[in-house]
Amino acid sequence: MATEFHSLQELRHSASLATKVFVQRDYSDGTICKFQTKFPAELDSRIERSLFDETIKTFNCFYAEAEKISGQSYLEGCLACATAYIIFLCMETRYEKILKKVSMYVQEQNEKIYAPRGLLLTDPIERGMRIEISIFEDIGSSSSSSTGSSPSSTAQ
Amino acid sequence: MPSGSMSGGVSGPTSPPHPVVPSRPLRPSRYVPVSAATGFLVGATTLFFCFTCPWLTEQFSVAVPIYNGIMFLFVLANFCMATFMDPGIFPRADEDEDKEDDFRAPLYKTVEIRGIQVRMKWCSTCRFYRPPRCSHCSVCDNCVEDFDHHCPWVNNCIGRRNYRYFFLFLLSLTVHIMSVFGFGLLFILYHTQQLDRVHSAVTMAVMCVSGLFFIPVAGLTGFHVVLVARGRTTNEQVTGKFRGGVNPFTNGCTRNISHVLCSSQAPRYLGRRRKTQTVSVQPPFLRPQLTEAQLAAKVLDNGIHGDLHRSKSSLEMMESQSADAEPPPPPKPELRYPGLSRGPPGHSEEISLLNKAPPTPTMFKYRPAYSSPSKNHTALTHAYANQMSRGDSLKESSSSLLQSSQQPGYRSEPSLDGREGGAGERSGTERTGGPPGGPSGSAVPGYSLGGRSYPSFSDPTVLAGGASLSSSVRSSHNAPPSEASTSYKSIVNQTPPLVPRNGSLSYDSLLTPSESPVFESAAPEMSPGRPRTPVGYSSPFLSAQIAHQREVELHQPSSAALLASTQHAAYIRGSTSSSPPPPPERERLLHDSQPHHHRHHHHHHHRPPRFSRPPLLSDSGHSQPSYGYRTRSTDTPLQSTAHPPRSPHAPPLGKSLSYSSAAAAEMQYRLVRKSSASIGGGGIQAPKDEIQMKSYSRTNGQSKSSLPQSPTTPSSPSYPATVSTRPGQAYSSSGSSQSPAHKPGGGVKKVTGVGGTTYEISV
Repeated sequence: MATEFHSLQELRHSASLATKVFVQRDYSDGTICKFQTKFPAELDSRIERSLFDETIKTFNCFYAEAEKISGQSYLEGCLACATAYIIFLCMETRYEKILKKVSMYVQEQNEKIYAPRGLLLTDPIERGMRIEISIFEDIGSSSSSSTGSSPSSTAQ
Repeated sequence: MPSGSMSGGVSGPTSPPHPVVPSRPLRPSRYVPVSAATGFLVGATTLFFCFTCPWLTEQFSVAVPIYNGIMFLFVLANFCMATFMDPGIFPRADEDEDKEDDFRAPLYKTVEIRGIQVRMKWCSTCRFYRPPRCSHCSVCDNCVEDFDHHCPWVNNCIGRRNYRYFFLFLLSLTVHIMSVFGFGLLFILYHTQQLDRVHSAVTMAVMCVSGLFFIPVAGLTGFHVVLVARGRTTNEQVTGKFRGGVNPFTNGCTRNISHVLCSSQAPRYLGRRRKTQTVSVQPPFLRPQLTEAQLAAKVLDNGIHGDLHRSKSSLEMMESQSADAEPPPPPKPELRYPGLSRGPPGHSEEISLLNKAPPTPTMFKYRPAYSSPSKNHTALTHAYANQMSRGDSLKESSSSLLQSSQQPGYRSEPSLDGREGGAGERSGTERTGGPPGGPSGSAVPGYSLGGRSYPSFSDPTVLAGGASLSSSVRSSHNAPPSEASTSYKSIVNQTPPLVPRNGSLSYDSLLTPSESPVFESAAPEMSPGRPRTPVGYSSPFLSAQIAHQREVELHQPSSAALLASTQHAAYIRGSTSSSPPPPPERERLLHDSQPHHHRHHHHHHHRPPRFSRPPLLSDSGHSQPSYGYRTRSTDTPLQSTAHPPRSPHAPPLGKSLSYSSAAAAEMQYRLVRKSSASIGGGGIQAPKDEIQMKSYSRTNGQSKSSLPQSPTTPSSPSYPATVSTRPGQAYSSSGSSQSPAHKPGGGVKKVTGVGGTTYEISV
């Protein structure tokens, strides 16, 4: 999942997956889906804490919204009951709608913030509700700590 | 309907329903209950509809079959959802996710949920810690979220996703059974005369079946109603988890019910279409800007750990640095971490020392530990203050050392020659900090202490008195006789060539073992009592030594002697030409203000042998070199090679203070000397004396002024002290043997996990 493109230029400065960091769930409020905002040590030098916190908080907001018991969810349940749950074949549940939003958010965060720093967020739903952040190291000409030192073209 | 977890058909080969769920062997017995349940349900209802309903429809209304039809539909729907829906199976963790957890992971992890400790167990099959309320179903071989139970009648686990359907199924089934039974009874009651008819027989059969199933189903329904109201799962209820305790998962009756019935359908984890990653990760990567604090912490950390493991290298560094012999930078008072403040690698020693103990911010920390007479504290305080500003960490780790090593000057002694006093000091302190006798091995002039922390000695810049002071303190603390000997030895080894500041060779000879004979020769002159006089000095030193020795002897008896020496020191001050060995460092402390302090340092070195010598002589006789020596010793990293006549290094501390420290130092020095003599390191003595002198002088009062407190301390992992490096410190600490260098505790802490596993955590 490191690089999509495979051009010579890219191979010159390719990134390799170094390690993965998992953001654990925060169970202080029960079993609702919430993530700890504790900053992993491995990311200490890779990303600003504020950005990470913001990402986690947004995740928490998304999932809190999804699991909220509201009128919409109640009506949804009644409707499903009434239609003998056939409605599930046609309609997307609220949770699924929010999951789609989360997925788009993850994509956007990756593009804007994490990929430029050599990190990659994965959608929590793919991991059983665990946030996984892949840390990539530059195995190109420069060391992993290089930041923009390589003059190469970052072919995108 | 969402796919359920049931594997293949009754008789066909099993195929895994999901990629991540391993295929299970076909077990027909698993399907008996569900088949029976299905059979009974569908069959009975169908019969009801066929035989009972038509008459009821005609007799009463069409609502009967409609109602029953809807009810049956509801039951079936819920039954199917409960049967085929994924209950919330967690996918198996990938290899990369559990690599850190698998072997060393404790069996349980504890989390706090609303103030209640809940254990999360490690699932060895699924390779993750089960979230709260998650359980592994042995029948399905999966970890299920919010696991309720495995229902054989639906042949499925009941978990977070399908509990609602199961509950509704139970409710609706109960109602359905009741209605079927009721309508059948009605039929029978109206056909009592026609019981031989087929319809009646069938109705009666249906009634029997429904009546039979009603009791367990109703019981189960009632049971689950209670569970839902209480917010528990069957698993929790049956295992008695919250018996008598508080359920952390409950939100109140109404909320619990609404959560079960009205919450949105939870998503499934398995079988999701994995989104292809369209974002490419390409170097170069951005890095965040580190804040100053972060940098500092980083540096500190790196330094510390690095030092732990590379004492030698640090020593080597020190050595090279010492060669430069540049005056160390002035101490930075606010420095907390040595790593931060120090530029030169010399700080490595301090850092290593720091590793030993968590850096403590203030110099006052060491006060209590200091066992020397209270008076010494004042002097010590100064020393500490200086040191603190410089060496931070070192001081902290060597708190006890600091206290004991009243003689910062001692440390610097070795470095007196030639190199900034700081180097000597540093090494001295380093020594104390480090393990006894760990020879720094550096060629650092004079102070490459055996390893302990003298590397700093070699580095003039590192001389920061603080380091030296701390090390001196340490060494003194650590200097029980045996240690003293070792430390001494290390000192000797280390000090090969202290470049005399003023170029005088005497110091060099003093410091280097090879030259020790010179010293030693001098020693006998001083006093017969002195076991092994350190290397003979060149003339000025000899005299100083002699004087010092005498002083030592004088001081030996008691603090009174110290006092005497103090006075002598004062006396000596006046005389410049007196034989070198000034009164022990303590004198210096006492009279801080004098340039004689330098001499005192000198004297200290020679002290043991010189004790016999009246202090008077020592001071005056001290040549310039001694000055430089002195100053350098503990506090004066700033000292350049030329011994700048030290103006009052520090305000003369209380006499008693200096005396006590001096006395201690003297005693220790003597011990050290003796041991070293036995060892045959005559030369050792010399440096020791010098060191001691230095420490003495330093503690006496130079601490303030003289201690440049270069944060860099000998880089050795500085174990508190081997006294060897700082004989002066040994006694300067007024006998309080510094805790022998707390070894940097290996940094391994053993922690017992909940499951009984024991882990070692490196600190």
